[in-house]
Order: sequence, then structure tokens, then C-alpha cells
Amino acid sequence: MQEALFENYEKQVWELAGIVPGSEGVRMRAFKQAVKLGLPTKRDEDWRYSDVKFLNDISFSISKKPKAIEVKQAPLSQNYAARLVFVNGYFDEDLSDYAELLEAVNVRPLANHFTSNPDRVDELVEGGDGVALLNTALMIGGMVISVPANTVIEKPVEILNYSTGTEQSASHIRHVLEIGEAASLNIIEHFVGDAISGNYWNNSVIQARVSEGGSLTHHRVQEEGAHAFHTAKAHVSLDAGANYSCSNLMLGAKVSRFEGHVKVMGEDARATIDGVALAGKDQSHDILTNVRHMVPGSTSDQVVRTIADAFGKTAFQGKVIVDKDAQETEADQSFKALLFDRRGEANAKPELEILADDVKCSHGATVGELDEKAIFYLTSRGVDPVTARQILVSAFTADAFERVDDELKTVIAEKVAQWMTERNIG
Amino acid sequence: MAGTAEARQQVEDATGEYKYGFVSDVDMDMAPKGLNEDVIRFISAKKNEPEWLLEWRLKAYYQWLKMEEPDWAKVNYPKIDYNDIYYYAAPKTQDKPKSLDEVDPELIRTYEKLGIPLEEQKVLAGVEGARKVAVDAVFDSVSVATTFRDELKKAGVIFMSISEAVHEYPELVKKYLATVVPVRDNYFAALNCAVFTDGTFVYIPKGVRCPMELSTYFRINTENTGQFERTLIIADEGSYVSYLEGCTAPMRDENQLHAAVVELVALDDAEIKYSTVQNWYPGDKDGKGGIYNFVTKRALCKGKNSKVSWTQVETGSAVTWKYPSCVLAGENSVGEFYSVAVTNNYQQADTGTKMIHQGVGSRSTIISKGISAGKSENTYRGLVKVLAGAEGVRNYTQCDSLLVSSECGAHTVPYIEVKNPSAQIEHEATTSKISDDQLFYCRSRGLDEEEAVAMIVNGFCKEVMQHLPMEFAVEAQKLLGISLEGSVG
Repeated sequence: MQEALFENYEKQVWELAGIVPGSEGVRMRAFKQAVKLGLPTKRDEDWRYSDVKFLNDISFSISKKPKAIEVKQAPLSQNYAARLVFVNGYFDEDLSDYAELLEAVNVRPLANHFTSNPDRVDELVEGGDGVALLNTALMIGGMVISVPANTVIEKPVEILNYSTGTEQSASHIRHVLEIGEAASLNIIEHFVGDAISGNYWNNSVIQARVSEGGSLTHHRVQEEGAHAFHTAKAHVSLDAGANYSCSNLMLGAKVSRFEGHVKVMGEDARATIDGVALAGKDQSHDILTNVRHMVPGSTSDQVVRTIADAFGKTAFQGKVIVDKDAQETEADQSFKALLFDRRGEANAKPELEILADDVKCSHGATVGELDEKAIFYLTSRGVDPVTARQILVSAFTADAFERVDDELKTVIAEKVAQWMTERNIG
Repeated sequence: MAGTAEARQQVEDATGEYKYGFVSDVDMDMAPKGLNEDVIRFISAKKNEPEWLLEWRLKAYYQWLKMEEPDWAKVNYPKIDYNDIYYYAAPKTQDKPKSLDEVDPELIRTYEKLGIPLEEQKVLAGVEGARKVAVDAVFDSVSVATTFRDELKKAGVIFMSISEAVHEYPELVKKYLATVVPVRDNYFAALNCAVFTDGTFVYIPKGVRCPMELSTYFRINTENTGQFERTLIIADEGSYVSYLEGCTAPMRDENQLHAAVVELVALDDAEIKYSTVQNWYPGDKDGKGGIYNFVTKRALCKGKNSKVSWTQVETGSAVTWKYPSCVLAGENSVGEFYSVAVTNNYQQADTGTKMIHQGVGSRSTIISKGISAGKSENTYRGLVKVLAGAEGVRNYTQCDSLLVSSECGAHTVPYIEVKNPSAQIEHEATTSKISDDQLFYCRSRGLDEEEAVAMIVNGFCKEVMQHLPMEFAVEAQKLLGISLEGSVG
């Protein structure tokens, strides 16, 4: 069944030779491994709640770089340090604006990365499941951002991934982030699909290493086209005292999935992964986390909130692993799901795997509908029912954006409110 | 002599070696080792079974051949050679014993050594007991003596071995057998269907509150004998029954396989309370030997307002793979699961429950306490599923893990799948160790470290223990202490 797909993808590996010079060996290796593992199906434990049919049904072509187009999408943050624009997975120099950033940090397209540093190709994250391997085998580009030690970029760097949405096209994007000692970077990834887009597939991987005392903030706002497929992974490793803070807003796409894989390798490091997924009709949103504490004294926290309307589906699969040596780990997970309609679906699998004894780990998960008593309370105070529900939903989702800075928080809250208004839920 | 035995007892107590590790010598009438159609025909013929049951067994066997051993549980054990096991071993009796005098005295001694604490000892010896507990004692697969049957009969309760029930109440057995756990449900269940040797059958008629607590003592004897028990309990409309199951097994070096199936059916307004204390031989300090316990337990709350409550205290077995579940099909049906699982040394336990909510207004409660010590692995794996048609479902889940050593593992793998918005699902889990403050406090009050740990652990498990019937609660508390001996300091 998947043989025909892989035949197509193998051709693409050859076609893409030279697009990121120096990566050919890695691509072929990853491709062979992908063939061996196969693409995920429902039978894979990690994908049991996802709609993976598209991976097995559609033979995607590599997306094309469009001729000069206008992207009207306004930036999420008005006060940005840089704006990097990708169209269909290809970096668009003209639409981007990163002069200011260049002064402080090293920013370069992935395409040029290995020509000057051929050894660094080994640093590419290769492993993972079929989807991750396909990303390595078929990546068309991305950004490499290296922040030197002690350099703090306060203002956000926005990466806009705009898709024109050609039917059955796929863009495999790979960003590489390197945060030096005591340096910090704030990334906002914004995925936007054209209003008339088709069933394209955006498959992105971010790999990041945060050195001692460094900090990486990673916000994601996903507003792909209504027929799109979106799979994204973040592979992050943290040195001592490093911090990784991730937030997610999942709105668009027919099927979307975010995976956060964090290796906590240094003491006193902290990882947080938060998310809000709003699934309307025929949408499926999936958040998977895998936080592994490998050394003593680190912490992690996850706050995920999802809402499913009629025929919508959300899933959270959160995993915290505490290695044998990782004493004094503190790990928390909180997952809450709301169902607006009996035809919606919420799934959760908050998992703890603990091999050390001196730990404090907990998780909580709840699923339910909006509290009628709370609505009644608000309406009895003169709030109309629609607004009452809006208020409750915004409070519900706000938990997952506590760690987002104020400007973006407002933008996100507006998007959540708009989602509610569109549904006319009240 | 007595002094020596006493000293040995003390040593064993102190080292926490398995107390019930002894072997009683009874002539066995065995089927040849291995599993094939002939062995199944042999078992069926031995038990003089009707044709339909043999056919059913054979069908299950061929189904089993097509299935694969599950590997998703977090347990590791050497590959089991299913052809290196005796599938049938029964104490040799010329005829069915009509009175206890005809029972092999060796068996009675075994019960004594087991310290069957109950009035049955007296009953077995022909003395009228004050408190009545009915026992269907299973000695290596075949029911030897069933007591209190007459009295139960008066109430209309059927309590007998399943092989007898097949003859006496074939229509009831046929109607319910494998309706809760289908033959093809899982690898071990299918195996059980093919080779089950005996087990218990209980039927509580309409409106009857079973006059006593029913109980079965399992005991695995004979080396290399897998025990394939099959229990079927049916509570008809408005009835109530409390069933106790407790297990001990002799010390053995070779691993023994146990793949039981328990099916419960609760009709309208019926309630079944099923309590288990499992302390099969867990293997020695180096992880050698011990029982493999692969059990499928499931209850069908078929009727409206029906209720099934599972309570289990799991301290034994080298490997446990067990998920007592409830299918809550009836309107306003209730499922409960209270569990304490203790693992020490090299034990591995992957246990939990499934609550499948189909009925409107069905409710479930899950309280699971896992304690890992030594080099053991303890996993809670559970599923709460709400189907789209099930309005107003309520679930509360709490699973706590306590780590007593730095070399053990505690894992929590809950699955939550909800398709109805009116459901209220709550899940909470914590993992922590016994805090130094708690220990210090206890020790400053004069308890030694082991006593202190036992006390804290018993406190940790209290929510579950209180759901055990009295007889069991005391035994279970002692068991917790014994299981954790040698795990601190």
C-alpha cells in the first residue's frame, strides 16, 4: 500500500539533490529508514487518536516556489526583531525583514548552512517516526539561527509560513536554532494558508539546542487552510539552567498535530509546553509531548486546553519520563477538554514514566462541557448567554497562555473569541 | 524439632521470603506436556464435557493459534514456550468425593498450611461454624470440595465449579459463557477458552441477597502446571453478591503461567462486589521464579442501576498483566475499581482498569495505588471511554504511586476517550516517595524503619483497603507489610 507512495518520494529525494547542498547522504539514510518504518497508521500507539488516513492515501508532490506574490498577512507582533517569510516552504528574501537581527545574530538559510560547515550535517535530527524521517529526506529549506553567548533578543522573531495551497503538495521545512550560553531568543511561528487553498501538507521540524543558562521561547499560531494537513515537531535539548517555553494555538487545517520532544539534559533546566486546540467541524487537532528528564533537579510543566465542536476531534498525549538519575524532578501536567456537541470527541493519554524515587510528578485531566451553573450565574447578573459562554471559554483557554507575553496574548485571545463568534455558540 | 521450625519461620519472616512456599505431594493425573487438539480433547473428555463445549474449546484453540502474544504492556519476561506446559493436572480421585473423609488428607494438610483462616477449616472437619463463608476450594484446577452448597441452595443461589455447572445448568452456562469476554478478546483469554480446567460458577436469582460471602481459594500446585481458571458470576435482577478470591502458591523455581478469565454479569438493579487478594509466589530476591499472572477480568453491567465493584490487592506474582474492567451498558449503572498493587524485588505489574460507558447516566470511580520497591516496575494502565450515546456520564479517577527505592519504576498510562459533551471526567495522578519528614516523625515515636514504612504505606492505601470485606482487610494489611519487608534501609 505504501510502496507506491515511497516510490514517488524516492524520486523526490533525487529531484531535491542540491537544494540543501551537503545533505544528500543524510536524506538518503533517512529515506531508507522511513521505508523501513513505514508511515504512521492508526495502529501506531503515538498516532492512535490522529486522522492519519491522508498520509496513506495521498501521494504528495513537492511544493513549488510561487512567482513573486504579495502576502498581505499582517504580523502577529507589531514590534518584531525580524520577520522571516516562507512561501510554500521556500524562504522569500524580498518579503522578509531581518536586517536588525543580522547585526546581533547569525541568520542564514539552511540551503547555505552545510556548504561552509560540511560537518554540521551530522547535527541534523534524523530519527523519529516516518513523518520525521520524511521531513529529513525531503526538506526544501528552513532557517538556521545561531544566537551567540550572552546575546539577548528581546523582541520576537516571527517566522511566517504562508501556503498558497496547491492540491496535494507538501512542504517539508526544517529550522535549526542554536541558543548560546545565557543567550535568549523568542520565536513566533505563524502558519497561514490561502483562503482558497487545497489539501496541501505542511510538515515542519524545528530542532533547537539551548546552551547553559540560555532561553528559547517558542510560540506557534496555526491557521492553515481548511483542507490542509499540518504536522510539526519540535526537538529541543536543554543544557543546565536552560529554559524552553512553548505555546500553541491550533485553529486551522483539517488534520493538525504538534509534537514537542524535549530532552532535559542539564540540571535546573525548565521546559514548559502549553497549548490550545480548537476543533470545529471535521477538524482533528493533536498535541503530543514527550519530556524526558535525564538529570537531577529539573522541572517541566504542561498546560493544555482543547475544545471540540460538532464533528471535531482533539487529542492530547503527554508523556513525562524521569530517568533513574533524575532525582528531585518536578513535573506537572494539566489537561482539560471541553466538548460543545455530542458529536465532538476528546481523547487524552497523560502518561508518566518514572524511574527515580525522589520526584514530585503529577498530572490531572478532565473532560466535560461548559458548566451550566456558571453560565446561569453570569446570565443572572445580566450577561447575555452568548457573552457568558465567551467569558467562560476565554477563561478556560487563558490558562494555557499564562506564559505568553502580553502583546501576543491579546492577539491569541482575539482569535479564540473570533472562533467562538464564528460558531455562534451561545 | 518444633524449635527448629519456629526458628526457620522467624528467619523467613525477617527476610520476607515467601511464607507459603511448600509443595504438597499428591498423585497427579496429567495430560502430556504441550498443547494440541488432542490435549484439548483429553481435557474435555476428562471432564466428561458435552459436545458443544468441546467444539467451542477447539474453535478457541484455532483462534488462539492465529493470535499473537501482546507486547504492549510494560513487562519483560522470557518467551513462554506454550508447548512446555502441562495443561491438565488434577488430584487423583477414584470417584467424586461424597464426604470429606474421602478427600486426600494431604489436601487437607495443604489447606492447614495455607492457614485458610476461615470457618471452613471447621466445616471441612465437620464442625458447625459461627460465621459463614462459603468456599469453593480449587486445588490445582479441579474443585475438590464445595461447602455450604446446601444452604446456598435454599436461597436459590447456585455456587459450584464450572465443570459441574456445565452439566447441571448447561442453558445458563451456554447463555452467558464468553459473552463478556469474547473468545477472540485477547491472546490469553483465547488460550483460557481452549484449555480452561475449572473455575467457579455463581448464579444469584432475582431479588436474592446472597446470604454469605462467597469465596474461592486458588492454589497452584504441580510444577509446570499453568492454571487456567474460569469464573462466571451472574447476578440476576435485584440481587447482590460479594465474592472473595484469594491466592497463594508454592515456591517454585520455574515460572508458572496463569491465565484466568473472570466474567461478571449484573442485570437490572443487581450488584456484584468482587474482591481479590493476590499473593502468588513473586519469585525470589534475585527475580528467579514466580508466577506469570495474565488475567482477563471483565464485568458487564447489563441492567439499569446495576453495579460492579472490583477491589484488588496485588502483592504477588513475578509478572502481572491484569485489567479488571466494567462495560457499563445499563442506564445509571455503576462501575468501581479500587486497587493496591505492590511490587518488590524484581516483580513487574502492569495493571489497571477499563471503564466503558455506554449507558446513560453511568458512573465510575477508579482509585489506584501503586507502590514500587526494590528493582520492580509498577504500571497503572487504564481506559475511560464514553460513547456518543451515553449522556450524563461521570468518572473520577485517582492514581497515586509511591516509590520506596531508587531503583524501581512507577508508570501511569491513563487513556481518556470521550465522545459525549455531557460527560464529566476527572483524572488525577501523583507520583512521589515517602518523605523523610514522615519517616522521621514515625521513627521519633519509636517505630523502626520497616514498621514506619508499613504504616505509611497502609495509610496511603487506606482508601482502597476500606472497600475490602473484613476478613480480607486484615489479611491484606499484613500482606502489605510482608511484601515490603527488606525494601528499606
